[in-house]
Amino acid sequence: MSGDPEVFEREPRRRLAIGWLLAGGCAATLTAAVLAMPRGDGPLPAVARYAMVVALPDWHTTEPVNEVVYGTRGFDTFGETFLLLAAVVGIGMIARAREPRRGFIGEEAAGRREQRRVDPAQSRTSSGEREARQAEAAEESRRPGPGPATPDNEPLGAPGPERAEAMTVVVRAGVRVAAPLLTMAGLYLVAWGYSPGGGFPAGAVALGVVLLAYVSLGYRRVEPVLRPGVVEPLELTGALAIVLIGVLGLVLRGSFSANFLPLGPVQSIRSGGVLQAFSLSELVEVGTGLVLAVFGLLGMGHDWGPDDEHPGPVPGGDHS
Amino acid sequence: MIVVNYLAAVALFCLGLYTVLTRRNLIKIVMGLSLMEASTYLFLLSLAYRRDSTAPVLLSPPAGQTPQQLAGGNVADPVLQNFCLTAIVIGVAVTGVFLAVVVRIAQHYRSLDADRIRAMRG
Repeated sequence: MSGDPEVFEREPRRRLAIGWLLAGGCAATLTAAVLAMPRGDGPLPAVARYAMVVALPDWHTTEPVNEVVYGTRGFDTFGETFLLLAAVVGIGMIARAREPRRGFIGEEAAGRREQRRVDPAQSRTSSGEREARQAEAAEESRRPGPGPATPDNEPLGAPGPERAEAMTVVVRAGVRVAAPLLTMAGLYLVAWGYSPGGGFPAGAVALGVVLLAYVSLGYRRVEPVLRPGVVEPLELTGALAIVLIGVLGLVLRGSFSANFLPLGPVQSIRSGGVLQAFSLSELVEVGTGLVLAVFGLLGMGHDWGPDDEHPGPVPGGDHS
Repeated sequence: MIVVNYLAAVALFCLGLYTVLTRRNLIKIVMGLSLMEASTYLFLLSLAYRRDSTAPVLLSPPAGQTPQQLAGGNVADPVLQNFCLTAIVIGVAVTGVFLAVVVRIAQHYRSLDADRIRAMRG
């Protein structure tokens, strides 16, 4: 590209005066508003009082927040779940390569290899595209070919960027110890906690465990369980379970996400009836959804392709 | 003293707004939006506060009280805590989509400067 180099040390800014004016005006208005608000002395609203009162007798749960999330405002949680699903689908659409592939990362190189093997004539690229690719590789100071599986055989203090897929044996051993404990903690959140119903935080913990395994062991080790073909059906199963739970409540009890399961004793794993099932489905949905979103972003390759409308060195070219 | 929390939320929100308005780096604009989201979490949780209250958990009531008395007692607002949970999930989803778009923009224009991305102007 041509033109001025992009220097962010100088931190170019725009519209400083308007920014100050709008942010300052917003701050003044909001400050005036919050100063006039009740400061922790108003009565609880009726819906909160209702949740407190019905949590134990109607749901056998000791945690009214869960009763609100999966019971009273279950429809809202339902909508939120599908907002997350829509975002995951959106990221998938934006991040995806030209054709569906087996994994998340390294698909571009696999596609190029297959293209060369199947149809060498079509895999020839224009000079502009080749130049842009070379420039990109130089920018990333990438050496060709994959790195070694682990850095264990590299000499101490070896210069240059880390090329191995996995991290050192110390990190790998640490993660092998920590990951099962974290998995248990996440499952404990969803199964027990104060009372059942920690599907959302447990899903976030699940993503944390997956990311730990990914950064320490390398993508090749987690790939067998972490394929779109595995994770995507799992996510849709979670979403389907949530729909079924809500609709069954509507059919059997007359209102969406009403309880239709027998209630176990308070403070047991079976307490909460439909809350527990809803929360477990949320664990599946949120955990796999976050994994899909994060790996979709991590695996975003550069979608080089011939521009049919404007032939020429357009990809990566100067648009300014 | 909960008003300090309110004011902190206002400060965070305006900081985020200022970032979105004046910065040109797209990543920093997304960070500003995240800051604005975070300020709403703080605000919602502060709104749930009640003076001298306990957490809305109906577990182990003090001696001589039934859980039902606990339910009628002075607790933080569970509904606003639920709003905060919802807001967190939506914040994550929206930030993810923003970042995906930013990566595509960076790949296409080879720039993260919002001022250079003006192909729509023809």
